[in-house]
Amino acid sequence: MSDRPKVCVAIEPDLIAAATGEAERPAAERVQGHVAACRTCRDDFARYRAIDGAVGELRATPPPPGDAEAARERLIARLADLRTRVVSYGVFPSPLGPILLARSEHGVSLVEYLDAGGADGSRLFRTAGVETREDATGLEGLHRELLDFLAGRRTRLDWPLDLRFARSDFERAVLQATAAVPYGAVSSYTGIAVDVGKPSAVRAVAQALRHNPVPIVVPCHRIVGLHGDLVGYAGARLGLKERLLAVEGVPTDHARAGRITRHAMYHYDPNPDRQYCLPTCGDIGRRPLGQVKLFARRETAEATGLAPCLDCRPDLHTLQH
Amino acid sequence: MEATAFDGIVAAHHGEIFRYLRRIASYAAEADDLSQETFLRAYRAWEALAPDANVRAWLFAIATNVFRNHLRSERRRRTAHDTVRATRRELDTEGPEEEAMAGELRALTEAAIRRLPPRQRLAFTLRKLHGLEYDVIGQSLDCTAETARAHVFQALRKIRTTLDGHARPLAESTR
Repeated sequence: MSDRPKVCVAIEPDLIAAATGEAERPAAERVQGHVAACRTCRDDFARYRAIDGAVGELRATPPPPGDAEAARERLIARLADLRTRVVSYGVFPSPLGPILLARSEHGVSLVEYLDAGGADGSRLFRTAGVETREDATGLEGLHRELLDFLAGRRTRLDWPLDLRFARSDFERAVLQATAAVPYGAVSSYTGIAVDVGKPSAVRAVAQALRHNPVPIVVPCHRIVGLHGDLVGYAGARLGLKERLLAVEGVPTDHARAGRITRHAMYHYDPNPDRQYCLPTCGDIGRRPLGQVKLFARRETAEATGLAPCLDCRPDLHTLQH
Repeated sequence: MEATAFDGIVAAHHGEIFRYLRRIASYAAEADDLSQETFLRAYRAWEALAPDANVRAWLFAIATNVFRNHLRSERRRRTAHDTVRATRRELDTEGPEEEAMAGELRALTEAAIRRLPPRQRLAFTLRKLHGLEYDVIGQSLDCTAETARAHVFQALRKIRTTLDGHARPLAESTR
């Protein structure tokens, strides 16, 4: 128990505040008046002033040694590593159902059709070494472009891609070859196998496309079976494949349960003159799809550097869809 | 791009946050780890930060939180393991007694600050060594500005009591 006078006990908080530069003016004046009369408090005041002076020196003095610069460099390296692992994502509505879009600092890494379970089932959350961050606002621009594409207002999605969710270099090669199939054109699994230099790996190509982490952007919907069947798409979403092809003007035959209408498309069988043909030119319409590429429009064929065949003249006898 | 903006935050504030952590942590290596943890957490939360937020206050709050968590886990470890060794590790600078011998008021004050209970030490360091406002300190310590102020005053009282035990330096300096 303190035996100090009550007035000294009462003024102590203000005294400490005044001595350490924290008191408001009236309190400081009260303290001044008191210490002028009370020797004990004057001593107290002086002691707190001394402490405040020492603290001021401490504030001006660097803390105990520690290499701040080295710590900052280590931090920057860790941040760089973290950034490469961060994938931002958002879930958006689309005419094809809810879609999850995800992007890393390198590019778009996921375009995923969601089931009723929503984003929780996304492979985004099942992949080790990925730090997810929801950022629908940041990805809204991509969503708009995607909607434009699905509405046929845009024919390209020139997004930088980050194929980290592909499972192997082979899959990445398949995705890259598929990305080269132009808008409104159709190739086959066999054709892609040939393009990646593994003509017998047709099944593996189909598997790779089944796991395509960025459908629509890497247009696996443009890849069909050897007889023009739509085969698989994103699990059991054949209807979506047909709709995507329809957006691009690729005719499909409803009567034959999901098969492209080959005879309504321009054909290209690689030849030295790089000429594309009508499906009725010679036997081109019967050749295996593995060696032929199909185009819904002449413009698309010509945009890839092909010229009309001088025999069948697809430029004069345009196909009607 | 946000990454660039965050680089700016690192450039502007890492030095001060590191100094703060170096002051309250026992070791340089600890301050290094804690400052990294602070900024990695900040990076993850950066998206959600309001555009007009006080970034400096926000970083101090994260650093304080990181340090307090660290303190808690250290305490658990200490209780579970070697108490004697842990006690010896409390200060990695020269012992307070040696500093007393040197008669340095500043060193004594620093040692006294290190001996304060954690909340008082943090409040005192944030206020007196880094000049933060009491409401910001309150946010860092999950208390009101008034409580933060009370912590600082309690800290000053304790420092004074500690220094009273070393009559010479304080008496000399008040002469």
